[in-house]
Amino acid sequence: MINDPYSVLGVSPSASNDEVKRAYRELSRKYHPDSYVDNPLSDLAEEKFKEVQEAYDMIMKQREGGYSSWNTSSSQSSNYSSGSGEEDVRMQAVANYINSRHYIEALNVLRSINNRTARWYYYSAIANVGIGNNIEAMDHAQRAYMMEPGNPDYANLVNQLQWRTRRYQGSSVNSGSGYGMDDLCCDLWCADTCCECMGGDLIPCC
Amino acid sequence: MFGYVNIYKPELKMKQYDKYKAYYCGLCRTLKEKYSPLGQVTLSYDMTFLVILLTSLYEDPVRLSRHRCIAHPTKKHPMLQNSISEYVADMNIALTYYHLLDDWQDEKSIIGLTGSTLLKGYYKRIRKEYPRQCKAIEKGLKALRDCEESNEVNIDVVSRCFGEMMAEVFDYKEDLWGEGLRKVGFYLGKFIYIMDAYDDLEEDIKKKQYNPLARMSRDKNFDSKVKAMMTLLLAECTAEFEMLPCLIDVEILRNILYEGVWSKYLNKQKEKGTKKGQ
Repeated sequence: MINDPYSVLGVSPSASNDEVKRAYRELSRKYHPDSYVDNPLSDLAEEKFKEVQEAYDMIMKQREGGYSSWNTSSSQSSNYSSGSGEEDVRMQAVANYINSRHYIEALNVLRSINNRTARWYYYSAIANVGIGNNIEAMDHAQRAYMMEPGNPDYANLVNQLQWRTRRYQGSSVNSGSGYGMDDLCCDLWCADTCCECMGGDLIPCC
Repeated sequence: MFGYVNIYKPELKMKQYDKYKAYYCGLCRTLKEKYSPLGQVTLSYDMTFLVILLTSLYEDPVRLSRHRCIAHPTKKHPMLQNSISEYVADMNIALTYYHLLDDWQDEKSIIGLTGSTLLKGYYKRIRKEYPRQCKAIEKGLKALRDCEESNEVNIDVVSRCFGEMMAEVFDYKEDLWGEGLRKVGFYLGKFIYIMDAYDDLEEDIKKKQYNPLARMSRDKNFDSKVKAMMTLLLAECTAEFEMLPCLIDVEILRNILYEGVWSKYLNKQKEKGTKKGQ
């Protein structure tokens, strides 16, 4: 694990994305294994090359806000124990599958559960994100949130799923064509939930 | 292919527009050189995007040349070509071949039969060179047919068939950028599929043909729901794109992904607006 990915690339943490990319390009060219064939320094260069790669990935993941840290510990949910014992066991299996990133298996077990609680929708949303079904994921995350608006996990999930959408729309606004600010509030079918769960601060005009 | 992944011209600088055109004409030229004028017919904006994306990422050197062409016989046009235009031309022929074959099997379309017969020889050669991509195309189109037959209404399930095809085609070399490219292709592919379904909706309903959006189209706020779905997909696509170290022509790529991809949708909205106004 690298402590400070910015120092590996030799840029400051306030550098723009394009500056990070430029530094990465330069260094990976410099240490590329192809330039060190039959060279005593080849091992060292390869190590450096990998380090540069890792530092770049770390920075980009931090900046693009990848999905992380779902709370799958069942104690969080107040309504959780309302299901039968059998279903509790299955929900636990779903949580385990999600934690080990076996999303397809998680979805298979979810399909076998008839009692669709807020927790069910929450898990289904996470598993669907995992396999790239992000339309269904958004729908289910919102259902979970609407069923239990007070649950911070559900609000957090909805918020995380919308993060990239807001970034995308923000970028479109900057370059200012037909797809712009007017649409931001009225078009997302999820706009309401988003404002509510963020305490109304997120989109000031809502 | 469909041509939804296009530029938004008013926002491009003149030199960027000229460069975009040179890539487009370059791909057209490569198609002609490798696959005769017949191959040229399969040219699309979507595939031009892939040429620019991969050229930017791999920083593959380009050759500049000037030629006349059938569409513009009086003036010589600048064209940019490289090994990536060759790869993309191959992928374009493979996709078109299967699309035509599908049309023939599906609707007994004569164009489908003639086109796929003519391209079959080329396709066989491409399949030998790129079995991974070609298998994914075959599998994706078969999965789409199955969705049609079972009248699938879950838009994630249907559109992922196309997304998975695109993921494989975008993954040029299965190297350290492969995973990122696959994701860009996957979400862009899903977007293209939904945009196409949205574009064809009225006609499909009229002809009583399968369209995954047909059931949803009766909802109120249908248009904004579709837009929200497509935004969600493009948000994922661009988040993955922004993580790739693309610097060359990145303005053109962003212009396409943030603006140009909406051209068709916005036109459609305008059309609907005028119809209502009448």
